[in-house]
Amino acid sequence: MIRVVADNISKDFSIGYRKEESALSAVLSFLPKSYPKRILVALKNISFSVDSGKVLGLVGKNGSGKSTLLRIIAGIYQPTQGVAKTVGKTIYLTGLGQGLSPMLTMRENIFLMGSIMGLGQKDIKNKFNEIVDFSGLNDFVDTKVAHFSSGMITRLNFSVMINSLKHHNPDVILLDEVFGSGGDIDFQGKAIQKMEELIKGGATVVMASHDLEIIKKYCDKVILLNKGEVAFMGQPDEAIKLYLKS
Amino acid sequence: MELLNKYYQKVKSILGLSFSLAKAKFKLRNEGSYLGIFWYLLNPLMLFFILSSINHITNKNPIENYHLYLLMGLIMFNFFRQATTVSAGAIKGGAGLIKSLKINYEPFVLSGVLQAIFSHFFEILIFIFFYIYFGLPLLWILYYPLIFCLFVVFTTGICFILATIGTFVNDIENAWGIILNFLWLATPIFYFSDVNFLLNKVNPIFYFVEIPRSIVIYGRYPDFYKIILPAFVFSVIFLIIGLFIFRRYKNRFAEAL
Repeated sequence: MIRVVADNISKDFSIGYRKEESALSAVLSFLPKSYPKRILVALKNISFSVDSGKVLGLVGKNGSGKSTLLRIIAGIYQPTQGVAKTVGKTIYLTGLGQGLSPMLTMRENIFLMGSIMGLGQKDIKNKFNEIVDFSGLNDFVDTKVAHFSSGMITRLNFSVMINSLKHHNPDVILLDEVFGSGGDIDFQGKAIQKMEELIKGGATVVMASHDLEIIKKYCDKVILLNKGEVAFMGQPDEAIKLYLKS
Repeated sequence: MELLNKYYQKVKSILGLSFSLAKAKFKLRNEGSYLGIFWYLLNPLMLFFILSSINHITNKNPIENYHLYLLMGLIMFNFFRQATTVSAGAIKGGAGLIKSLKINYEPFVLSGVLQAIFSHFFEILIFIFFYIYFGLPLLWILYYPLIFCLFVVFTTGICFILATIGTFVNDIENAWGIILNFLWLATPIFYFSDVNFLLNKVNPIFYFVEIPRSIVIYGRYPDFYKIILPAFVFSVIFLIIGLFIFRRYKNRFAEAL
């Protein structure tokens, strides 16, 4: 059964930019005007499908369109052209750094993030200890996140995210660079183990990562993206070889 | 039945998240501030003292129970100002989350309205204090929540419209500030004017100031066709327009941020 389909997807962004300005035009720029726009082609004619239980990897340089593609599959962005579809319960995970409020304590942040992830207050209460234990930050539950080190923030982020998944048995998982990188060796080991459980739980996975070891280990098929186009689709080993060469 | 249940679940999750966001924002606003919730009250209270001290200049004919009349006008408008001002930047404020999660966007707008309701609650406490001080019968105030609900519906509609425009157009926050000042002066808050004046007829906020005043302060029901019906129609129409516009454009929010 096919779980994820992308049919001829293209995505254009129209982005504003600022030209080199002379002193006079810099002054004039305070007057009403329309900004110049230019079209950035983020994705061009991408088609693929993933069968149930398979793992698809996305590799490519920064700005090659990996995240955009995942967001389109997740339904956050609308494609300019083409159709993307997932069948079944879908979850989309990404490094969720912006979700935490630095001026709130860890406890308050867990409750806030939990409800943003779609849990009710009761569910969060039940999972609260699990989240705190996993993060290993038991001594800082009532400390403001502003005082956390960046490693602690990574730990908190990952623990909240992985423990407050709404569906326990998702059919489709979309991963955008989430392997707890930034934590120490112990935590990364724990995080990767947790992700492994998730990936090997039988769901269909599409993941983007710069960690080629992970791609090699889990993926059945890899797409190499280059400037929004499919440069290669096929065996992980070959894709990685091509990626390293490019 | 299943559809109804699904709909119920969705509304429940939207409201749940709205409450959580409002709670977090409320905490954040009071965090590290010495006067805390007193800040919510400062603006209407200052206006109240200034305007009541120049009552003899602004009003030729004395208005019965002017202090309550004025205070009611001020706190009703203040609710509208707070809720709508936050909403213009509501979607932008949640940009990080909206770009990285598949979630409903309504809570970002609704949480602003809820926040305004929280602070309105404290303003109403002050109003009740004055109400008792001037010896008015407390019975009429029981109608207040009902009237206020209608105003909330109207304000929510406006908030959805502003949030949608605000996502795409930066200027709306400045423009809305000016429009609010205009509305504040156009609404009989510190002076008297009745429904027969054309500007009042087309100004929705007039009705939401007029209804609680006549019921709570003067203990009389306002004219149904001239006052209550238009208030009702304005609320429903603006909510429908707001939701329609919001849903129409919400697919494009994530990219616009």
